[in-house]
Amino acid sequence: MQLPETTHQHQSALADYCRTGKYSAIPGVREQHVTQYRRLVYNVVDDMLQSAYPLTHHLLTTREWNALVQEFFSNHPCQSPQVWYMPKELYEYLSPKEHKLKNKYPFLLELLWLEWLEVELFMMEDRPAAYTTIGDLSTDELVLNPEHHLQQFQYPVHLKTAKQLTPADKGDYFLVLFRKPDSGEVNFMNLSPALVAMLEILQEGPQTMDALIRQCCAAWQLQLSPEIQAAAHAFITQSLDNRLIIGFKSKH
Amino acid sequence: MVGIGFRKDFATTLLQSPSFNPAFIEVAPENWIGVGGYWKKLFNQALEKYPLYTHGLSLSVGSPDELDLNFLQKVKTFLRDTNAQIYSEHLSYSKCDNAHLYDLLPIPFTTEAVRHVSRRIRQVQDFLERKIAIEIVSYYTPVAPELTEIAFINAILEEAGCNLLLDVNNVYVNGFNHQYDAKAFIDQLPMDKVAYIHMAGHEKVSDDLIIDTHGEAIIDPVYDLFAYTMQRLDRDVPVLLERDFNIPELDELQQEINRLQQIKNVHLKNPRYATA
Repeated sequence: MQLPETTHQHQSALADYCRTGKYSAIPGVREQHVTQYRRLVYNVVDDMLQSAYPLTHHLLTTREWNALVQEFFSNHPCQSPQVWYMPKELYEYLSPKEHKLKNKYPFLLELLWLEWLEVELFMMEDRPAAYTTIGDLSTDELVLNPEHHLQQFQYPVHLKTAKQLTPADKGDYFLVLFRKPDSGEVNFMNLSPALVAMLEILQEGPQTMDALIRQCCAAWQLQLSPEIQAAAHAFITQSLDNRLIIGFKSKH
Repeated sequence: MVGIGFRKDFATTLLQSPSFNPAFIEVAPENWIGVGGYWKKLFNQALEKYPLYTHGLSLSVGSPDELDLNFLQKVKTFLRDTNAQIYSEHLSYSKCDNAHLYDLLPIPFTTEAVRHVSRRIRQVQDFLERKIAIEIVSYYTPVAPELTEIAFINAILEEAGCNLLLDVNNVYVNGFNHQYDAKAFIDQLPMDKVAYIHMAGHEKVSDDLIIDTHGEAIIDPVYDLFAYTMQRLDRDVPVLLERDFNIPELDELQQEINRLQQIKNVHLKNPRYATA
């Protein structure tokens, strides 16, 4: 059962003012103090967005940033009851839209998404994995860290400062972001398409290094060479070191 | 016992400090539901060391919208998994017309709102299968009031059958902002319903306005009002020190905790002086 109209209307009027900054008289309200609500609400949203998107905040001019926050919060009804999750909705709000900022900064959506991925990977619930850190690289099956995300971008937003990106940078870029099991820190590695394929095979389940390299070569119709073997070995060793590959399949 | 709001800003220091000894910690479930990794590990360590009290932010019991039962289920699971001692929420709204606002807006003090909010609190209590404590919030302007604040609060406590989280600083702030006597206000509250007390600092931003910032130390007049509340209460309830911004060294927070505990001790040792 819902509230009768009048009380609801007054609540809507105050909420509307907090979202848009446009005040219409509400009975009984002290106008010199009601501004505090707009200030407090706006600051929470602005702070959360700045904290989730520091690179985007740095890229945009102050006027552009403020206009974006104002536009987003006025037009978009935020759905998450968890304020730390709300910034994702800015990315979702901009994604389907024609927007002048996307014309000025063609990589803007990818930058926002990269920043959000870092937040989400850092915060997200633990994904359990069965593994042991003791194993033999030449014989034991490798286990991929389940707390990872494979991503393709058209702009190298993960490699260059946003202000240095130009239309000439447009291409195909692959990376993996992952959460380190001990520190919880989020790291990323730039990947070649072949290494993406290798990780996609590992996503299916544990594999020995040799089987992984063979499957990868078959998928890419490559002749297994000592150079390929050495490059794959180096990548796997590095991934074991930084815990993108979290360990070895337990034999028990 | 006196606890502290568990803030990410000082979580690591709190867990490592040998000299900081809150009796319990309090969190907002919203800030921890669905969280893993680094923070989850710290939170689990805190749960091993301290009992947990909880204080929600987003349930929006005063909202004209429908209750978010999906979110409420997550809260219920969180309370169960963490063995939370108390779940409290604000007598305010933070969601309206399907949009979250992430701050606490004042509900119009109307008879309609009393009925609506009481019904929602009962619905929440039925769903959670526990009583909740509702906090009197600080507010900077009334909105279309038909009732006095005290009549509004007491009617809801009565109709909803819930407990009261008495934020003594909020009563002080509201007394200042709306020119009433804070002690007389406390006199009119049903003290038998007080299940939990909050204490905090605030900021006076103009001659006629105080903002409830939780960013300063508690001031002496609020300690005095706390002493008065303890005298009226005449029994022990958990007390929380809230400090959300401008966090000082933990020693300073410990001193505030000690002072709150001392005030409690005085009034709990002398119950015969408790009621005037």
